[in-house]
Amino acid sequence: MREKGILVWIALGVVLLAVLNLPEAVSLQVKAALRDGVAPLQGALASSVRNTKEIFRLIRGFGGLAVENEQLAAEVVRLRNEVRDLKALDRENGALRDQLKFYKKTSLQMIPCEVIARDITGWWQTIRLGKGSTDGILPNMAVISSDGLVGKTVAVSSRTADVLLISDPTCRVSAQIIRTGAFGIVSGSGPTERGQVTCRMEFINKTVSIQPGDEVITSGLGGVFPKGLLVGYADKVVMDESGLYQRADVIPRADLGLLEYVFAVVEQGDAQDLYLRKKQLVKEVKP
Amino acid sequence: MFFCLVCGAVLQAVWPTWLWLGQASAPFLLGLVLYYALSHGDGFMLLAAVLAGLLQDALGLIPLGYSSFCFCLTALIVSRFREMVFSGDWPAHILFGAVAAAGVSLVLSLLLSHDGRLLIGPGWTILKAFGAGLLGAIVIPFEFRVLEALDRMLGNLHERGR
Repeated sequence: MREKGILVWIALGVVLLAVLNLPEAVSLQVKAALRDGVAPLQGALASSVRNTKEIFRLIRGFGGLAVENEQLAAEVVRLRNEVRDLKALDRENGALRDQLKFYKKTSLQMIPCEVIARDITGWWQTIRLGKGSTDGILPNMAVISSDGLVGKTVAVSSRTADVLLISDPTCRVSAQIIRTGAFGIVSGSGPTERGQVTCRMEFINKTVSIQPGDEVITSGLGGVFPKGLLVGYADKVVMDESGLYQRADVIPRADLGLLEYVFAVVEQGDAQDLYLRKKQLVKEVKP
Repeated sequence: MFFCLVCGAVLQAVWPTWLWLGQASAPFLLGLVLYYALSHGDGFMLLAAVLAGLLQDALGLIPLGYSSFCFCLTALIVSRFREMVFSGDWPAHILFGAVAAAGVSLVLSLLLSHDGRLLIGPGWTILKAFGAGLLGAIVIPFEFRVLEALDRMLGNLHERGR
């Protein structure tokens, strides 16, 4: 009996040592396989919870449907006008870029994803998406909601992808303030006592004037987040203790606590305007 | 056991977290490990601890093996009190649930901070441990009852003469 006990202890020690010292690639494969195995159940549970919520929302919202419909109709008219204006601007912008021999901006493709779970341990600010590498999602891909930047993919299996939210201190985004053009690094500072999720923008030039409400977007530097995605709005601005740069609190535009559907952003890295490129090459060769 | 582990993992992943509890998740997997530690033999207990740990690590960003280590340690400590606790009284289960959940939360945070994978302050860590303890005290006793009923229904407890 005692020998059996010792054998169990030895086996446990060996198993733990083996698991703790697994090579990174094997460890990732094991994790991905386990995640894929559980994903259908998680997806089903998340869907049923969402459907139940929708039913209750529907029952509660019957009274306000007419008002909501009216508001939506007005919104559609406003957005149509905006799209018409933007199309004209886009044409003008394209013509100017053409004249200046600029490359066309890379187009973004969106993969819609359903959020099926949150971080199981509560140590990180992450969400799990119900789509993975088979749907075209890769690690280090920007993830946005209809409101703004949400985070980036960190661990991708064939059926799921974990997204590190911008509210996590380990997530860093190269950002820019639209009004001034000042650059900085946005990282999560965790939730405040009031329950508000905040981020912090650091390393901002100390001579730049920042006002609360200034829009913060991704700068496109760093290679993960495409340029121009809305991150949030600047709030409190303070000078860093070192006196070398400024720091600003940033309130994320996307409601990171209530995410149900998000989009993974596929940047068409090779979608530069081939026509312009060819024209440039011809000019370079000619002289 | 496998079915219970998968259900526990899924429940833990979809269960909401609260800010005033340090966003600690409800320790369903730990509850399973504690149940097997108190009601089954060493082999079953350690298998449950290793598998629950692997599942928890796989479904989060924790490196593989950290949670298994913590769960095994907890299971081994708790199994020392097997005779005392399996009488089925709620206060003992509440106490074990709270202490084990808070303890695992603290040990995990130490391991992850030591690795540099976690960037949270001591205040937040303590709040999270408190939250985990409170959730453990609430969730684990109920989980014990459900698992006990399931085991009884399947004849596992009866077979062992309980």
